[in-house]
Amino acid sequence: MGNFSQLVYLVPLFPLVGFLINGLLWNKMPKSLAGIIGSAAILASFCVSLGIFFEVKSASFHEPVIVTLFDFIQSGKLHIPLAFQVDQLSSLFLLIITGVGFLIHVYSASYMSHDEGMVKYFAYLNLFVFSMLLLILGANYLVMFIGWEGVGLCSYLLIGFWFKKREYTNAAKKAFVMNRIGDLGFLVGMLLVLYNFGTLSYKEFFATLGTSGATMPPATITAITICFFIGATGKSAQIPLYTWLPDAMAGPTPVSALIHAATMVTAGIYMIARSHVLYSLAPFTLNIIAIVGLATALLAATIAIFQYDIKKVLAYSTVSQLGFMFLAIGSGAYTIAVFHVMTHAFFKALMFLGSGSVIHAMGGEQDIRKMGGLGKKMKITSVTFLIGCLAISGFPLLSGFFSKDAILTAAYAHNPILYALGVLAAMMTAFYMFRLYVLTFRGTFRGTHEQEHHLHESPAAMTIPLIVLAILSVIGGYVGIPEVFTHKELAFNEYLGPVVKNFGIHEIPENTEIMLMTVSTLASLAMMYFAMMKFRKPAFPESTGIAKVLENKWYVDELYDAIIVRPIEAMSGVLDRFVEKMGIDGIVNGVGKTVKWGGDRLRMLQTGQVGFYIFIMVIGMVALFTLSFFWIR
Amino acid sequence: MHLLLLTADQNTPFNYFPVALQLVIAIGFVAVMMGATHLLGPKRRTKDKLVNFESGIPSVGNARQPMGIKYFLVAILFVLFDVEVIFFYPYAVNFRFLGAEGFKEVVLFVAFFFCGFLYIVKKGALDWED
Amino acid sequence: MTAIIATTVFGIIMMFTGLFVDNKKTVSSIAAVLFVALLGINIMELSDATGPALRSMTLSLLGTADNTNGAFPQLLFNNMLRIDKMSMWFGTAMTACTALYILLIGKEFRKVGTHVAEYFALIFFILCGLYILTAYNSMLMLFIGIEIMSIPQYVLAGSDKRNLKSSEASLKYFLMGAFSTGILLMGITLLYGATRTFNVTEMVPMLHSESLNPLAISGIVFIMVALGFKVSAAPMHTWTPDVYDGTPTAFTAFMATIVKAGVFFAFLRLFHVSFGNISEHWLMILAIVTALTLLIGNVTAVYQQSVKRMLAYSSIAQAGFMLFSVLAVSSNIAWNGIILYGVAYSVATIGVFAVLVKMKDYTYDGFNGLAKKNPLLAFVTTIFLFSLAGIPLTGGFMAKYYVLLAVMHQGNMMWLVIFALLMAAISVYYYFRVIIAMYFKQGDPELTSEVTMGDQVLLIATTIIVILLGVMPHWFLMPA
Repeated sequence: MGNFSQLVYLVPLFPLVGFLINGLLWNKMPKSLAGIIGSAAILASFCVSLGIFFEVKSASFHEPVIVTLFDFIQSGKLHIPLAFQVDQLSSLFLLIITGVGFLIHVYSASYMSHDEGMVKYFAYLNLFVFSMLLLILGANYLVMFIGWEGVGLCSYLLIGFWFKKREYTNAAKKAFVMNRIGDLGFLVGMLLVLYNFGTLSYKEFFATLGTSGATMPPATITAITICFFIGATGKSAQIPLYTWLPDAMAGPTPVSALIHAATMVTAGIYMIARSHVLYSLAPFTLNIIAIVGLATALLAATIAIFQYDIKKVLAYSTVSQLGFMFLAIGSGAYTIAVFHVMTHAFFKALMFLGSGSVIHAMGGEQDIRKMGGLGKKMKITSVTFLIGCLAISGFPLLSGFFSKDAILTAAYAHNPILYALGVLAAMMTAFYMFRLYVLTFRGTFRGTHEQEHHLHESPAAMTIPLIVLAILSVIGGYVGIPEVFTHKELAFNEYLGPVVKNFGIHEIPENTEIMLMTVSTLASLAMMYFAMMKFRKPAFPESTGIAKVLENKWYVDELYDAIIVRPIEAMSGVLDRFVEKMGIDGIVNGVGKTVKWGGDRLRMLQTGQVGFYIFIMVIGMVALFTLSFFWIR
Repeated sequence: MHLLLLTADQNTPFNYFPVALQLVIAIGFVAVMMGATHLLGPKRRTKDKLVNFESGIPSVGNARQPMGIKYFLVAILFVLFDVEVIFFYPYAVNFRFLGAEGFKEVVLFVAFFFCGFLYIVKKGALDWED
Repeated sequence: MTAIIATTVFGIIMMFTGLFVDNKKTVSSIAAVLFVALLGINIMELSDATGPALRSMTLSLLGTADNTNGAFPQLLFNNMLRIDKMSMWFGTAMTACTALYILLIGKEFRKVGTHVAEYFALIFFILCGLYILTAYNSMLMLFIGIEIMSIPQYVLAGSDKRNLKSSEASLKYFLMGAFSTGILLMGITLLYGATRTFNVTEMVPMLHSESLNPLAISGIVFIMVALGFKVSAAPMHTWTPDVYDGTPTAFTAFMATIVKAGVFFAFLRLFHVSFGNISEHWLMILAIVTALTLLIGNVTAVYQQSVKRMLAYSSIAQAGFMLFSVLAVSSNIAWNGIILYGVAYSVATIGVFAVLVKMKDYTYDGFNGLAKKNPLLAFVTTIFLFSLAGIPLTGGFMAKYYVLLAVMHQGNMMWLVIFALLMAAISVYYYFRVIIAMYFKQGDPELTSEVTMGDQVLLIATTIIVILLGVMPHWFLMPA
């Protein structure tokens, strides 16, 4: 094997170069070239990542490799280098990000080809990939945080990409603010780590935890873990900070696929998996995570059932799936969460790109009430989308089946109630997914004639990524065939084993495991069938009662508006009127005026006469003498 | 007197006391004398008395007339080369003791001066007429 | 040592060049070659001092063999000079800054007057004084260094003979400088009386904190006042605005930067080495001087209408920050702090002046609309001003960070640090006024000379140095 790990800096370098080229030449670059440069940069990264992956997978790789580029902060005892860490976890994420990222870049080159801001778009997209890679590769929390902020920024830029529409920029602002709340948690957590352990490097931090973690006060550990988890809820859209993600669908669809489904939103999962040593010391936090995850999964699923916007359905589905991942983490099954990140990246990117293809064909229409019967005109999109739906619903032997089942099994081992509620969420997932599929691709077309005439299959640059992702969605799960079938350690667990140790998972009997699997699978299949039947001949009556509440997303946005935004606005009004205008402005302007006034007075000292200058000097000297003889002792 | 000698033996700020005393007496003497002449002397102010005395000849014009800068230049250059000669005196006294090493140093010193001399001559600093 | 001799000889060579060569361009080229040679000599000497890696690298570049026995620190002339690694590092850094200055601004000398060669010679002599100040080990050498440095400056200040303001600046500087020299000598005399030695290191055992001779305290205060005059610390700063304003801009750039940094190094050396043990007797006084300097420099700068005069006040304000390194007696990063601050401040200020000499109108309004007319000039000026204001990722930030950190290590000075930060906030106001004028105001600024390709390359290189100072400060510090 070559020494690919040492070349790891190339992986983020290529997107950075792509960003610089596209970003600096944005008004001179032809559109087609921007797409090629953007995609080529990611392809190059992917190739290096592949090399790294196989090197890490080989038997000769033991210890994580840390590649230090240069010292970032050097101050007294504090020493934080800009360093990258290559190990099983980061190399896996590298593959997901660069691989899926490459497909989405290719797709975008076609999808965005009519947009005038395409070069800018690719610059942002490359910057996003760069930041995400920084987040994944960092060998300490600070580098992770830089990437963390970077992806937040790119997400903001890309959600508000069509900034001429006011609601889009509002959505971008909302995403940014929600993320900032979470980031604050992360930052506080980081400072707590720094304060208590004196280091931010994973290696040193976890080593300290390993030797003296048990003797640390549990309150400290819990505080740190909670802070980090707050950060994760922001980035990974969990209760209570999830509301930005559905609004984030304002951005171009490939962006939703890349940032708001496959990569950025899984950063929270990555962060906790990376810090698993810490979390395993805080069972209390793990319980909170499990409960929050499950609650998010259920809440988002109920909302998804009643949405009519194709992208909103997928967005809530993403929130719900992220909830599943946090459920896995809360149950101590970190590797399973990462496994689900991977399979979810495949099928959710697939479905988002599929929905992009649909929106493209419909000329920008996103309302599924106006679709129907698209399957006849768009064979590839329809079939690949179906594969995605099957995968996410847990159809046997597709990728989602393995990962979701592993999560539910782990949840059962932790607490059977979690399992029961998890199955409920999974059933709802199957239901709304098939509702979406049937309403979009089956039945008869419900839109205008003009749209019907315009319907067409998307070009190859868009369908090929769909096909590749569909294949991955089918086979992606085979790295994690459950033990009951193979009687071996999970291949996936075996791979991640050296860096991520699961925590507190009880063995459950084989029979029980098979029984659980059967129950959840049958339940999902039943829901699929039910949805197929129910929406074959759709009608869209005005929603009432509970359905109306769900259609309006449990009125959470309104609730936040009422309990947080309004009071803050009211308070800031008061502050503005009384404290700001009268107090602060008065003080600030007063200080400014005093400085100016003082400057004016002091200027007068500059008379230009040497005699006077020397006089000042002598006076000063006499004053200094007086001070040094009569005051200093 | 006895007291003053005593204090000089100890190394304290107090052994500057004689110096301070001397200062006070000196300043005091001058001040008293000036004040006394001012008060005691007879005063008769006439115009002739206040005019500058120039050997009995009536004074003409302002004394602060601009002078040619050349005077200053030549004066300063004279001082510089005078200092060179002053340095030679201690060297001449220690000529034997300093030996060859000392000779080298003095030659270097003179060489520097010679450079300066060359420079001012070339610059025309010694040309009296423009 | 070689550097001191070399710069003297080069100065004399320049004097004679002035006699025998008439073409100003030839004179400038000869000067540039000599400056590069001086820098080379400095690096050679430094490499002897700092160890095998750098030494073998330079020697192999020059193709000579390694024949030094490397005994450092060197003591010369009966312990009058003590050349150690730190002084060489600083001397080399300042020589490099001078070389940068000559490259950026040297062309402008031709516009000042006819005696171009003499101007270069004077700068060589000033550097000679600077080297002595980095290496003095005796009060007498301190005095001689200060004088060698000052007298050429009096001449440079008045080099634009036909300009009344320039002559006024020269006379003012000379009169007040002579006054401060007297004070310095008085201080040295009193210290000699108290310690019976001129030697900087031998003086230390004579100065006890418990039974300190009042003569010694007076001497220290006198020396503080005299050196404070040279670095324009308040209340000895009064000459600075008039002199810097009147002096031809090309020379103000040199006087305000490298000279000042050199005196600071001498200041630091004396107060840390000789008076370090009795710091409780003078620290508070110096802290008050520092606070006063920061206050007067920053507050008065706000009210200026001319960018050149604003930079004069800003140099007072920056001196306030540099005084922090002198205050940090017990901190071991004070030395690095002064080196970094000296370099960062010099490079950024020289950069601003390099732009300023090209402007016809020195007022803020003269900068209106520069960003439209010449975006590169506006951009590099912005970066230099960022650095002066201490915005992160520029050298000025790191420099401020180092000196403030040094004082924080020292302890007991929190009030001063907070005050300094407040003042730094005020400084943003007057630095940013230039940026606002350049970018947000309409106007058609006139340039006195064309911005050539070489100028552009040099300005960009200077900008890169400023940013490198902010990102990789340790490259500019002496390797431990």
